[in-house]
Amino acid sequence: MATAQDSGGVFEELSKTLRANPGLVFVLLVAVVLVIDLLARFAGQEIPLFADRTLGGDLSVARFGSLVWEGIVIGLIFGLAGIGLSMTYSILNFANFSHGDLFTTGAFTGWGVALLVAGFGVADATAGYLIFVMDGRGPGPAEVGASIVASPLAILAGVVMAAVATALVALVLDRVVYYPMRDRGGIPLLIASIGVALALRSAIQFVYGSGTRGITDTQGIVVDVRDIIELIFGDVEASGGLLGWVLDASVNLHRTTLVVVAVVLIVALHLMLQRTKLGKAMRAMADNKDLALVTGIPTERVVRWTWILGAGLAGVAGYLYVLERGAMDFNLGWFLLLFIFAAVILGGIGSIYGAIAGGLVIGLVHELSIIWISSDLNAAAAFAIMILVLLYRPDGLFKGVTTA
Amino acid sequence: MSANRDPMAVAPDSSILEVRDLDAGYGDLQILTDVDLDVGDGEYVTVVGPNGAGKSTVMKSVFGLTVHMGGSIVFQGAPIHEKKPEQIIHEGISYVPQNNNIFSTLTVQENLEMGAYILDEVPKQRLEEVYERFPVLEERKTQRAGSMSGGQRQMVAMGRALMLDPDLLLLDEPSAGLAPDLVDEMFDRIDKINNDGTAILMVEQNAKEALRRCDRGYVLTQGQNSYTDTGEELLADKEVRQQFLGG
Repeated sequence: MATAQDSGGVFEELSKTLRANPGLVFVLLVAVVLVIDLLARFAGQEIPLFADRTLGGDLSVARFGSLVWEGIVIGLIFGLAGIGLSMTYSILNFANFSHGDLFTTGAFTGWGVALLVAGFGVADATAGYLIFVMDGRGPGPAEVGASIVASPLAILAGVVMAAVATALVALVLDRVVYYPMRDRGGIPLLIASIGVALALRSAIQFVYGSGTRGITDTQGIVVDVRDIIELIFGDVEASGGLLGWVLDASVNLHRTTLVVVAVVLIVALHLMLQRTKLGKAMRAMADNKDLALVTGIPTERVVRWTWILGAGLAGVAGYLYVLERGAMDFNLGWFLLLFIFAAVILGGIGSIYGAIAGGLVIGLVHELSIIWISSDLNAAAAFAIMILVLLYRPDGLFKGVTTA
Repeated sequence: MSANRDPMAVAPDSSILEVRDLDAGYGDLQILTDVDLDVGDGEYVTVVGPNGAGKSTVMKSVFGLTVHMGGSIVFQGAPIHEKKPEQIIHEGISYVPQNNNIFSTLTVQENLEMGAYILDEVPKQRLEEVYERFPVLEERKTQRAGSMSGGQRQMVAMGRALMLDPDLLLLDEPSAGLAPDLVDEMFDRIDKINNDGTAILMVEQNAKEALRRCDRGYVLTQGQNSYTDTGEELLADKEVRQQFLGG
C-alpha cells in the first residue's frame, strides 16, 4: 500500500489492481472499444475491422440522447418498484416474489379509476367497462381520452388510487399470509410469497381478464419544449446554442409525467426516512431488529408502514409504467420482477438509494445496449452488467455506504 | 454454606425489583431455576458467575426476552413477568444488550432519539444531559454510530438507554470487547450513572472489578443463586475466590 504513494503511484496502483483481477483488463478493453465505437458512430465514420465487421456507423447525438432518456425513464420505474422490494427485504427479512404482482395490482386499480374519471360522459363507456380497464368491446383509448393532455386530473387520480389500492392489498396479504409466519425465517416467507404471486396474478386475470389492451390516448402528448416554455414564461427569443437546442427538442409528456412523479416520490421518501420519527424507526429496524424491540419501537406498526410505503410505490410504478407504455396485461409485473430484483441486488439489497441507482444502471444498459446488439438481447446485457458489477462489488453499489 | 448465604439475608429494605422463584428459559429449554434477586432503590447490583451459568438470562428475563416458566418478577409494585419488552420499557427499565447494541447505520443523535421513541417528542433536556455525560457523543452527533470506536459505541448504547431516565438500568457485560485501558473508564461512568440515582443491575465477566464497584453481588451457578452478599464480602470470601475469581 505504501508503494502507491511513490512516484507513478496511480499507475502502480492500477497495475496492481489489474494483476489481482485479470478479468478487469478485458472489461476495460471492452469499455474502451465501445467508447471508440460510439464516438465513431457520432462522427458517422465506419472503420473496417475484419471480414464484414466494422467499428462505428451512424448514430445521431439526438438518437443517443433519446436512448439515455428512455433508459432513465425505465430505470426510474425499476428503482421506484425496487424501493419496496428492498424495504421488505431489510425490515421483514425476506425476498418478496409477489412484488411484481403488486406492481400489476397498482397498474390495474389505478387505471380503472383514471379511466373512470377520464371517460365520464363518453358515449357507450359504462362505469363497469371503464373500471375494469376496457376489457371487451367498447370505445377505444382515443375516445376515452386518458392522456395527461386531455384529462390531467384523471391521470393524477389514478396515481393516488394505484398507491392506496396496492397498499391495502399488501396490508391484507400481510395480515393473512405473512403475519402468522413472521418468525419462520426468510426461506418459508420467500416460498409463501411465490404462492402469493401466483394467487394475486390469477386474481387479477380473473377480475380484469387476460387480454392485452391499449390504455392511453397519445394524441398531442409529444410537444415542443419551446411551446411549454412559452406557455409558462411568455415568448422566448432564442435560437442556436445550447438553449436553442433544448428549445428545439420535443418531449413526450407521458414520460415527463412519469419522471416528475417518480422524482417527487423518491425525494419525499428520502425526507420521510431522514427527518420523521417513523422514518428513523424504519431505518433503525432495518439496521437492528432486536435492538429496535428493546428500545420500545413498535415493530408491528413499522412493518405495516413498510408495506404501505413499499407496496404503494410499487403500485405507482406499475401505473406509471403503463402510462409510458400505453398498454397492459396481467403479466406486466411478473415479467418485470427479474429486472426489479436485478436493480435491487445491483444497488445493494436493503438500501433504497441503492435500489434507485441500480434501477438507473439496469435501465440505461437495457436501452443503450440497443446501439450494439439486437433488441432481443438487451435484457441479457442488463443482467450481464449486473453480474459484472457484483463480481467486483459483491455487496452491491450502496451496501454499507448509506442507510436503509 | 454459612448462614448469611440466605439470598434474603442482605436484601435491601425497599426493593424496586423483586425476583422470586423465577424459572425461565428459551423455547422448551429451562435455564433458570428458582432464582431470587432484589435491586433496591438506587442500588448497584451485579451478577457474576462462570460461563453458561445463566447470568445474561436473568437480565433478559427481567426485560421480558425469555419464556417465563414460573415465579414472579415485580417492579415497583407491579408484576412484569408476563409483559413484553415494549411494555416493560414504559415501566422505567432500560436494557443495554451485550452485542449489537447500537443502530450502526444511524447517526449518534438518531440513536439517542430512538432511545426516547416511546415519548411523543425527543426530550431536549434529557438529550443535553446525555451529551453532558458523554461529551464525545455531542462532538460526533452527526457521525454514523457504526464508524465509532468500541468505547464510543458503548457510550452510544448507554446514552440511548438513559434517554428515558430509567429507574433501573440493565447492563449486559458492558466491558466486553473493550480495550483494557478503557474498561476502568467504563466502570467509572457506570459509577457516575449510579451516583446520579439510577439503580443498576449488571452482568459482568470481569467479576473482580464488578464486585469491587457494586453495592451487592449475586453469584449464579447452573441457573441458580449460590450466594449473595455485599461486593466486598464476596470478594473476601475464600470459596467464592477459589471458584469464580481464580484464587
